[in-house]
Amino acid sequence: MLLQFPGPNPNEVDLSPTYDAVVVGSGAAGGMAAYVLTSHGFKVLLLEAGKYKDTGKILHSMEWPYDHPRRGRMPDDYHALTLNEYNVRQLPYAQNSPYNKVQSYVQGWSGTDYSKTLVVDEKENPYTGTRYAWVRARAVGGKTNIWGRLALRLSDYDFKAKDRDGYGENWPISYSDIEPYYDKVDLYLGISGHPEHLPYLPDSKFQRPVKLNYSEVHLRDTLKVMDRVLTPYRAGVTTDGLKHNKYRSKCYGRGACNRHVGGCDIHAAFDSPTGLIRPAWDTGNLTMRTNATVYEVTVDKDSGKATGVSFLDSETRKSYQVKAKTVIMAASTLESARLLLLSKSSLYPNGIGNSSGHVGHNFCEHMMGPSVSGFMKDLVGKPKTNDDGRPGGFYVPRFRNLDGKRSDFLRGYGFEGSSGTTMLSSSAYATAGFGDEYKKHVREYAGATIEMGAFGEVLPRFENFVDIDPDMKDAWGVPVLRFSYKFGENERKMAKDMAVAGREMFEAAKFEVLSNSDQMLPEGWSIHELGTARMGNNPKTSVVNQFQQCHDVKNLLVVDGSTHVNASCQNPTWTIMALCWRSCDHLADQLRKGEV
Amino acid sequence: MNSHLDRRDLLKLITASAFAMPLQLNAATDKPLYFDEHEFTLLDALTEHIIPRDAHSPGAHDAGVASFIDRTVAHAFLPEEKESWKKGLAEMNRLSMESYNRPFLKAGKTEQVDLLEKLAKAESHPKTDGERFFDQLKGATIFGYYTTDIGIHKDIEYKGNVIQEQFSGYDAV
Repeated sequence: MLLQFPGPNPNEVDLSPTYDAVVVGSGAAGGMAAYVLTSHGFKVLLLEAGKYKDTGKILHSMEWPYDHPRRGRMPDDYHALTLNEYNVRQLPYAQNSPYNKVQSYVQGWSGTDYSKTLVVDEKENPYTGTRYAWVRARAVGGKTNIWGRLALRLSDYDFKAKDRDGYGENWPISYSDIEPYYDKVDLYLGISGHPEHLPYLPDSKFQRPVKLNYSEVHLRDTLKVMDRVLTPYRAGVTTDGLKHNKYRSKCYGRGACNRHVGGCDIHAAFDSPTGLIRPAWDTGNLTMRTNATVYEVTVDKDSGKATGVSFLDSETRKSYQVKAKTVIMAASTLESARLLLLSKSSLYPNGIGNSSGHVGHNFCEHMMGPSVSGFMKDLVGKPKTNDDGRPGGFYVPRFRNLDGKRSDFLRGYGFEGSSGTTMLSSSAYATAGFGDEYKKHVREYAGATIEMGAFGEVLPRFENFVDIDPDMKDAWGVPVLRFSYKFGENERKMAKDMAVAGREMFEAAKFEVLSNSDQMLPEGWSIHELGTARMGNNPKTSVVNQFQQCHDVKNLLVVDGSTHVNASCQNPTWTIMALCWRSCDHLADQLRKGEV
Repeated sequence: MNSHLDRRDLLKLITASAFAMPLQLNAATDKPLYFDEHEFTLLDALTEHIIPRDAHSPGAHDAGVASFIDRTVAHAFLPEEKESWKKGLAEMNRLSMESYNRPFLKAGKTEQVDLLEKLAKAESHPKTDGERFFDQLKGATIFGYYTTDIGIHKDIEYKGNVIQEQFSGYDAV
């Protein structure tokens, strides 16, 4: 009989077989690799540095704040880093903090008591160098347990961006190569959206879309005249349900995903544990080892191939080695780069897979911060509607530089937005003063508010990189990452344009503008880090091939956001999973033929 | 197992939490945990100034905001955070003495409001101790009030956090 999920205690997991594949990390990428390879019949060992947390039990999505002793806030000895701390403190940020636990800024939002065991303690996981708001989750499922759910496709406007404006490198694939895999991800995991037939933001195989409220319909109509689009949030959420997955419910519009840091306790929103890992587990081909902090990819000195990985038990600190025919890195863009760089040997003195010197470089992401907020006068003082009962608000796709460079900056940005009454209305914090007038104003404007914030492409640059700090080690004795990463002139110009364009759209819709900022948030804030082991055809300028295999070591794959050639301005999770599925299909073929 | 959650399972999700937590302290009957009686009465009055009862809904006093702040401050991890509240309340009395020769609670209602209005002028860019305390007090009162059943249901009339077969709103056309 098969063992019940999530299997035996970590220390009792059988590590003696040589697995077909060992997968490092259990988020979107690692979960997908495990699902695809086990479905092909291969034996997979999935390693996760954190523990298994049943989010169905811990998230309490519908708990009212007044039913929680701290109204959803973390315990008093926990501290979430503030914007100001990222701006003024020297790294590592948690150094000398009086609090027992220090977590990244995401834990400063509401309802964070529920996610405190998913996000890492900065004290145990320091890093050095330039300012960076690095959000990490160590738990089965990684950041998919709390992700923002916006699930967008890339197009040839992104894959072949160099052809349009001459900057950077093209991807070694075209949209037609990945399109069938986007379709597979859509159908297997479920995605909600409304078709718009845009060549630069291809439609998915959509389930029931979320609805728009009154202000959003008005903005959508206004933007049409400006040749721009407002579309309902394309959420990686099954709104109609999935007959093939018994672990996930359809969405019931509770809106809980916006009130907490994220996450869905009925798993309508995709998370790796229920969407991918449990189905992989049910094949009987998956072994999962939690509390496994990987610190090195091991190699065979004669063949140069990867032989497996070494890890420390996160609690006992005991060291283990596991053997596998293929090693699949899915630890996140920054952690995978760290592991490649840490895996130094006489064969690979600069780290495994790094003969190009590009590992850790071309690091890119999305810049955010510029935003506009306001209200729709028609709605002031009107009876409240349920604006909060959906997995997302709206998205305004990119409209800049679609036919090459037409602005004083390269590439583009999109806006994510929302409007209407929320449980704790933004109007409460945005309204000045106190007393009767204040209270009435908050109440009457709560349903009329609308806001949107931009996410823009940060150009990949060789000189933006991470490497290994020569001195500092984490709580497990593993050397930490050192950041040499900064936004540049292109991002600064883009930020100014975002603010202007945001205001222009709100004014065109006759919204009263309350705030309009061109301030960039610190690097890292979008949690969309990408590009540290980019794919390409040329082994001198890229780390992996189009099937995410290291040019130098064919049985070593990197399947997370590391391999993005550019960030585009679309959220990366869906692309990470489509690419990973494609690469693992290809790997399965090679494994069958004995080619790796 | 069905791929969709049973309605009963969903109901369990909503109700389970309500019974799992200890009952909240009641502002009217329980002794404050951190503040002394005078400080607590002053805090209660200040929060009610920020969000008062009006014809539409009860205010901060009825929502037990001072009690929530007291509980939060009593458990605060850093001594500085605790002290900032004691000092802030003392500063309110000092400012009242300075202007009216009486502590805050002994001043007239209009005088109290005038004092707060002076501090509120520097909102979001405070420079003096009193101005900083006003921002601290207002932030805590907002969170303390709008996370109660009074704030969420009676005042804002929030309609969310319910189970819906269909999303509400309009189709994108």
